[in-house]
Amino acid sequence: MFIEQLVNGLTLGSIYALFALGYTMVYGILLMINFAHSEIFMVGAYFGFWLLSCLPVFSPQFLPAYFLIIFILSMFGAGLLAVLVERFSYKPLRHASRLAPLISAIGVSIFLQNLVMLTVSAQSQPYPEKLSIRQFHLFGVQINSLQIFIFGLAILLMIILKIFISRTKLGKAMRAVAENHTVAQLMGINVNTVISLVFLIGGGLGGITGVLNGLYYGSIKYNMGFLPGIKAFTAAVLGGIGNIKGAMFGGFILGIVEVLAAGYISSIYKDVIAFVILILVLLFKPTGIFGEEVTEKI
Amino acid sequence: MFRILVVALGILTGVVGCSQAPEGEKIIKIVVVCPLTGDIAAMGQGMKRGAEMAVEEANVSGKLAGIKLELAAFDDRADPKEAVNVANEVISDTKIVGVIGHLNSGCSIPASSIYDRRNLLMMTPASTNPKLTLQGLKNVFRVCTTDDVQGSFGANYILDKLKITTAAVIHDKTAYGQGLAEEFKKQFESRQGKILSFDGINIGDKDFRALLVRIKNEKPQILYFGGMYSECGLITKQAKELGLTVPVVGGDGIFTPEYIKIGGKATEGDYASMIGMPPDKLPKAKAFMDKFKAKYPQVDMQPYDPYTYEATNMLIEAIEKTNKEPLQIVNYMSKIKYAGILGETTFDEKGDTLNKTISIYQVKDGKFVYCE
Repeated sequence: MFIEQLVNGLTLGSIYALFALGYTMVYGILLMINFAHSEIFMVGAYFGFWLLSCLPVFSPQFLPAYFLIIFILSMFGAGLLAVLVERFSYKPLRHASRLAPLISAIGVSIFLQNLVMLTVSAQSQPYPEKLSIRQFHLFGVQINSLQIFIFGLAILLMIILKIFISRTKLGKAMRAVAENHTVAQLMGINVNTVISLVFLIGGGLGGITGVLNGLYYGSIKYNMGFLPGIKAFTAAVLGGIGNIKGAMFGGFILGIVEVLAAGYISSIYKDVIAFVILILVLLFKPTGIFGEEVTEKI
Repeated sequence: MFRILVVALGILTGVVGCSQAPEGEKIIKIVVVCPLTGDIAAMGQGMKRGAEMAVEEANVSGKLAGIKLELAAFDDRADPKEAVNVANEVISDTKIVGVIGHLNSGCSIPASSIYDRRNLLMMTPASTNPKLTLQGLKNVFRVCTTDDVQGSFGANYILDKLKITTAAVIHDKTAYGQGLAEEFKKQFESRQGKILSFDGINIGDKDFRALLVRIKNEKPQILYFGGMYSECGLITKQAKELGLTVPVVGGDGIFTPEYIKIGGKATEGDYASMIGMPPDKLPKAKAFMDKFKAKYPQVDMQPYDPYTYEATNMLIEAIEKTNKEPLQIVNYMSKIKYAGILGETTFDEKGDTLNKTISIYQVKDGKFVYCE
């Protein structure tokens, strides 16, 4: 049973970790909590929903390619929305007090939720079931193909992101902007482009998480981003906000703790237990688990 | 935002209604209050449809001489706090003479005492928690039967017909869900059935896998759920994915086509108990079903459409037979003997219907099929 719970926890943790990356990257570069990120996640899920309902799978052997296209388009759609949100709601406030973009983010979040509620649907919608989920029995533990896929994809995306940030020129520019906007600009880096890039990547990861969430749970709704958004933000803080490795570990820790609390203690108090752990970590280590690596914020 | 929408909706129905009313007709208002948005809006929209059909028929038939009946729909979002707000709004309008609603017991209970301040009749077609009518309020009537009848009926059915003796119970901590689950547990245990676990979940949660893995290791023969379809659909789906392949049994809260849409193939073989006989088995209900199909050809009927239709018709009869004062309507209702689509309805001194039939349905080929 423990292993089975651990599998559930790792899947949930993968979703939190991917989701948390968006929060942590934006914080790393703008020192701002992007509360609209949970709505990027939701719109990503709806975008995937729309694509899955419209595009037919011509033949079963095209299924991997089909999902690859769905994922890339949803990522791109959500990323683009995040860039637009930044361009129109945060950029004009970049030199205002730090609270202004925060409030603007909350406004965008409410706006997007209500927009989807009024234009799409106010009710839960079942996600198209195009992926036949296979069950595996390994050493008495039941795992399904979607869980393995979510975990694998999350790890893959995080490795790609890590390589992108540490090995490429654009990644280097991102790190430079995270350290100091003005100096980066003096070195010839286009700060606005880099910030847009961060929103594109963070939003894209949020969007793909939304699609994975829809596939895993089978239903989506206009307010589906709120609770996982809070949890993912918690994961980012737990790991040390602004730190990519921290977001990943924070996500996995939160997912596993939540599942173990629900499985062994009480399904009602699982959120209480997860948040108590957050408070304890912050009390004893206010910067989060990986918080000391301040210099490398992104 | 919701409020504006609801008010706009009310004004719109009002405007459309008025345009047809000849000069000199007296306007009397009734309201239907139910969740029109949110997770269980599908059921609430069904209630609104039922009430609309009844009001439209009454206006066309002309049995309310010189009176133009108007229906306004309010949204309580299945939220007890919002239900209280709406109830206060309703009692401030003196043209309103009766309320049809709410859907959720958790909403009906706090709202009922607010309507009582103005002796305003509240007829619920759907709230099944026994506590609602135990408050000693004279204005509250319910057309559906209660959870104690439904919960024990479910327990008896499982023990007698399915020959199953061990069950795990999950509920959603609401007045309805937990109430139903507790009544089930009481009856199941009193007849030597074994309840292996009794757990609550949070409304709006999506991940029940941790709980279900634990329940799977308890090896129950059946999973009983007290709550609504939005959570239960996910539970049955995740349970079957995890290899907990026992049938899920729920109450009227999951008896809707939406349950099968959310749960997908995993719902196959699940059971739901539902208050009353299936409408197509009742002689008078046939006409209602036909009218419904003609009016809403694209819509699947939800469980409470006929109940709301019936409740609204009873209220209309009370308006017709009295001097239209709220208190007179309440008094009339306590003595009513109404023969409608659900059979004959009379109320006991608490306001509960004496028509206490329960039916069991099973999901077969993506549809709820009547068992008994």
